[in-house]
Amino acid sequence: MALAPALSGTATEARRRARARRGVVGSRAFPYLLILPMLALEGALVIYPIIRGALFSLETDTGLGLDNYRTMLADPDFWRMIGHTLVFTLSVDVAILTIGLSLALLMNWSFRGRGLVRSLLTIPWAIPEVPVAITFVLMLDPSFGVFNAFLRLFPGVTENPQWLLDPVLAMVVVIAVTVWKGFPFYSLVLLSALQSVPDELYEAGRIDGAGRFALFCHITLPGIRDTLALLAVLAFIYSTQQFTLIWLITGGGPVDATTTLAPAIYMQAFRFYNFPYAGAIAVVGFVISAVATLVFVAAQRRVETSE
Amino acid sequence: MSTVSTRPGASRIEPVLRTVAIVVVTAIVMFPVYWMVVSALRPSDESLSFPPPLLPHALEFSSFCQLFAEKPIAHWLMLSTFVASLTVIGTLILVIPAAYALSRLYWVGRSAFGLMLLFTQMMPGAVVVAPVLMLYRSLGWTDNLWALALLHTAFVVPLCAWVLKTSFDSVPKEIIEAALIDGCDRWKVLWLVLLPLTKPGLVAVSVIAFFASWNEFLFASTLITKNDLYTASLGLATLMTQLDTPLFVLMAAGVTFSILPVFFYMAIQRHLLRGLTAGAVKG
Repeated sequence: MALAPALSGTATEARRRARARRGVVGSRAFPYLLILPMLALEGALVIYPIIRGALFSLETDTGLGLDNYRTMLADPDFWRMIGHTLVFTLSVDVAILTIGLSLALLMNWSFRGRGLVRSLLTIPWAIPEVPVAITFVLMLDPSFGVFNAFLRLFPGVTENPQWLLDPVLAMVVVIAVTVWKGFPFYSLVLLSALQSVPDELYEAGRIDGAGRFALFCHITLPGIRDTLALLAVLAFIYSTQQFTLIWLITGGGPVDATTTLAPAIYMQAFRFYNFPYAGAIAVVGFVISAVATLVFVAAQRRVETSE
Repeated sequence: MSTVSTRPGASRIEPVLRTVAIVVVTAIVMFPVYWMVVSALRPSDESLSFPPPLLPHALEFSSFCQLFAEKPIAHWLMLSTFVASLTVIGTLILVIPAAYALSRLYWVGRSAFGLMLLFTQMMPGAVVVAPVLMLYRSLGWTDNLWALALLHTAFVVPLCAWVLKTSFDSVPKEIIEAALIDGCDRWKVLWLVLLPLTKPGLVAVSVIAFFASWNEFLFASTLITKNDLYTASLGLATLMTQLDTPLFVLMAAGVTFSILPVFFYMAIQRHLLRGLTAGAVKG
């Protein structure tokens, strides 16, 4: 390693010479030129529409104003939608992390076929949302859906439930499908986090006479805490973004029982053609995901510094 | 790696219990996938009986024949491939320079740019779909597959920039310094040194971009209204609402549409793990 300082010395030298040659590539503007095309596209097709949508939300019959927000906040449907969004998002988040972690713990030992199980777990996540919706609608069909056959195995169940016509069952269904599609990914990330917890810690704990539960609470959990926090934010974002599964399975219904944020915006804009009101709800969606992103960045910093 | 089996005093029965549990969980998770495939392959008279037999009595491919003969699925798949390919090209053009700037160059505003990328990555499509439609209408870009691909590109590049940046990050500093000493400028370092060394990352980015576009439904359904411009996700969704589509044909369409993404996602699984958590977690 005696060579290293000399090497980096010549490298700085070379860099200085390269810069001295001037030209665009050597100039200070070079990094900015590299990101410019991407910045332009994001500006035009993501950031500009967000601003445009926010401006829509200020448009009223009498000029600019906060009327749409007043209407929104006074609208019981809006608060029902927020309630549905909370129920959906929190249930998906908690279920994804609990099931994901349980499966990761189960898989955290070397067994034959682990590669195969990993690959199989990728499948739900890889299947596009439209076929997923089609499959679950088929399996839940009240007259010949296979889920009814399973349900009939329980004592006392003699009729096929109307899965998608009952407000509570419909919510359970969209939550379950979203979890089914999402949790394998979280499981695989948690599995690699579990594997990065040093073996020596477990050894030391065992020598100190710690039981299995104590090992989990004092070594495993602190070891993956930051990853878990990061994934909680990611799952939150995943569930607030969810549109296609809900839209194709229940259409937000029955009535509005499964209308969360994304379907609500879509419905206001394209069913009722109320763009200003859709814009107001979209601003709520924007604020939620902006805050979630900041929390994500904070969680990410912790994961990086703890490594 | 912590292994249960090597632990002294671990009970003999534990590996067995774990194996059984893993098999059961995997079976439950895989059941809908199994059902999707079986429903496409079972004889048509079986699909409407209750309770449906868990194991089909026979397997036949007639549903696929009927699907391709009676529905324009080949056309839809072709258009999806077209849009997805354009998305890949657009993504690579934008992402290679940007990932280089994020990974290897030092400039004021770099972390702000990174934060902006993250914001756009996390933004739900529904938040912008109405204003985007207005914008596209004023430009005359609705019912235009090129314009749809551009939108898909805009929504997938943030994620792809992270994936490629982590890939660039993994190239040892010494190699780049050696190239600089040999007289490469920063542009040549990118093309002659970094890109040849990060081919797996480039493949991963292409796969992500391709299938993000392939799977996308919300934008396609709002921007494309003409039947003959339907991409596969749109076509499939309309088959679903058409009551005259036989069930097994619908399932065959679902399977056909899913084969490619499943195959490719499996192949790049590890890259995806890293990319989707913006590099914070090892895949």
